[in-house]
Amino acid sequence: MNIIEFKNVGKRYLGERTPAVHDISFSVAEGEFVCLIGPSGCGKTTVLKLIAGLEEKTTGTITRPDGVSMAFQSGALLPWLTVFDNAALGLRQRKERAEKISQAVDRELRSVGMLTLHDKYPADLSGGQRQRVGIARALAVDPPVLLLDEPFSALDAKTTAELHDDLTKIWRETKKTVLMVSHLIEEAVSLGGRVILMRDGTIDQTFQIDLPYPRRESEHFHREVMKIRREFFR
Amino acid sequence: MKRQRHHHVIYPVTMKERLYTIVLGPLIIVALMYLVFALYPQFAPSGQAVSLATITIAALHTLARLLVAYALAVVVAVPLAILVTHNTAIEAVLLPVFDILESVPILALFPVIILLFIQFNFLNGAAVFILFLTMLWNIVFTLVGGIKIIPKDIIAAARVFGLSGFAMLRRVTLPAIVPQLVTGSILAVAQGWNLIIVAEVLHTYIPGGTSAQDLFGVGSILVNAAANAQTHVFLLSVTVMIVIIGAVNFFVWQKLLHYSQRFRFD
Repeated sequence: MNIIEFKNVGKRYLGERTPAVHDISFSVAEGEFVCLIGPSGCGKTTVLKLIAGLEEKTTGTITRPDGVSMAFQSGALLPWLTVFDNAALGLRQRKERAEKISQAVDRELRSVGMLTLHDKYPADLSGGQRQRVGIARALAVDPPVLLLDEPFSALDAKTTAELHDDLTKIWRETKKTVLMVSHLIEEAVSLGGRVILMRDGTIDQTFQIDLPYPRRESEHFHREVMKIRREFFR
Repeated sequence: MKRQRHHHVIYPVTMKERLYTIVLGPLIIVALMYLVFALYPQFAPSGQAVSLATITIAALHTLARLLVAYALAVVVAVPLAILVTHNTAIEAVLLPVFDILESVPILALFPVIILLFIQFNFLNGAAVFILFLTMLWNIVFTLVGGIKIIPKDIIAAARVFGLSGFAMLRRVTLPAIVPQLVTGSILAVAQGWNLIIVAEVLHTYIPGGTSAQDLFGVGSILVNAAANAQTHVFLLSVTVMIVIIGAVNFFVWQKLLHYSQRFRFD
């Protein structure tokens, strides 16, 4: 069953002559892990913002569930709140009971390995740790869809690999629908069940990745990466 | 020596550092002034004496005026800054207006303000109002700058988690501008101290005014002491004023500056 559906969606920002995205049609099934890739300025983050409700479409129709959650490239943590309070932001806004907030936040912080640092402030954390808190915050509201906007782009290779493993584990355990924007083909192929290549504001090609996890070391993985790379640089 | 570095600004953190920078510095200035008066007999202490207790009480009156003006300035500046940054259309209209208002020399308006307040026999109000106007724009413009540098990701994240309107204001915007509120406040109160010398000496702005119309405060004592060659009173007033400014800096602003670092975005 599709949880997200775009039909001929376009988005033109105020004062811009060309649309950021146009004629976007695709759907995402419940529990799917989809990666959006493409050159800078191709419109992939705009697609994510449209799903998150941060932007309004100009044309077409979008079907999406309520309560979509998102993790950001910078982590986007509030510096004056502790790790716990940052992760609790969405639940507090929903006015959940304190006990439920505590349970949910503890669970998600544990799943990303940040429970022991619950009373630290973002300034005390590394980039990778901030990203983990951002993901825990997004998961704490138990969203039907998790959006990730280049969450690992500012991290070193080792931290990125660790977070890839954690994210894969979380996705397999929770069966959440995940949509991730990435500018790295290897990352998209390593994580996604489907990779959507965008170009000039619209979808160029879609690649199905039917490989078992973990993928990074397999020969098939490299073959898929090369295949997409050829199209990417076409 | 342990220091805390934030955004290329090093704030004194340890007690020793704060003593050096905030207490010893002003004390050295006062000591030099006494030395100059001692070395040059023509400036030797003279004139009618005003006791240290009177000067201290006067200085506390001055401080109270500054505090009331500052509180009013904050209460008005925060909503103004939020309003002006609310959307680009409002900003396009209001910001140039604020720029002009900020550029109007406050002292040029002072006679008019005094004439207004003298109708109600409320001269303290005139002093507080002029101090308020002096402080207001400093705080408004630093807050506008603070709101504008809130990262887009932070706003987007807050919106994704359902924050809007008052919740956005309370949970994101207001905490985010704490550092700018502190730095703006320090600048504003410093300007207030500059102006207090004038703001308490009302008789110079009232046609046919006498020094009886001056407000009781360290500013008026200072000016009258200088005018009447009461060097001893002048020195004592400057010393008391510097001690109070140093104490406020030491016990309030430095602590708030340090605390506000937690609210800064990287």
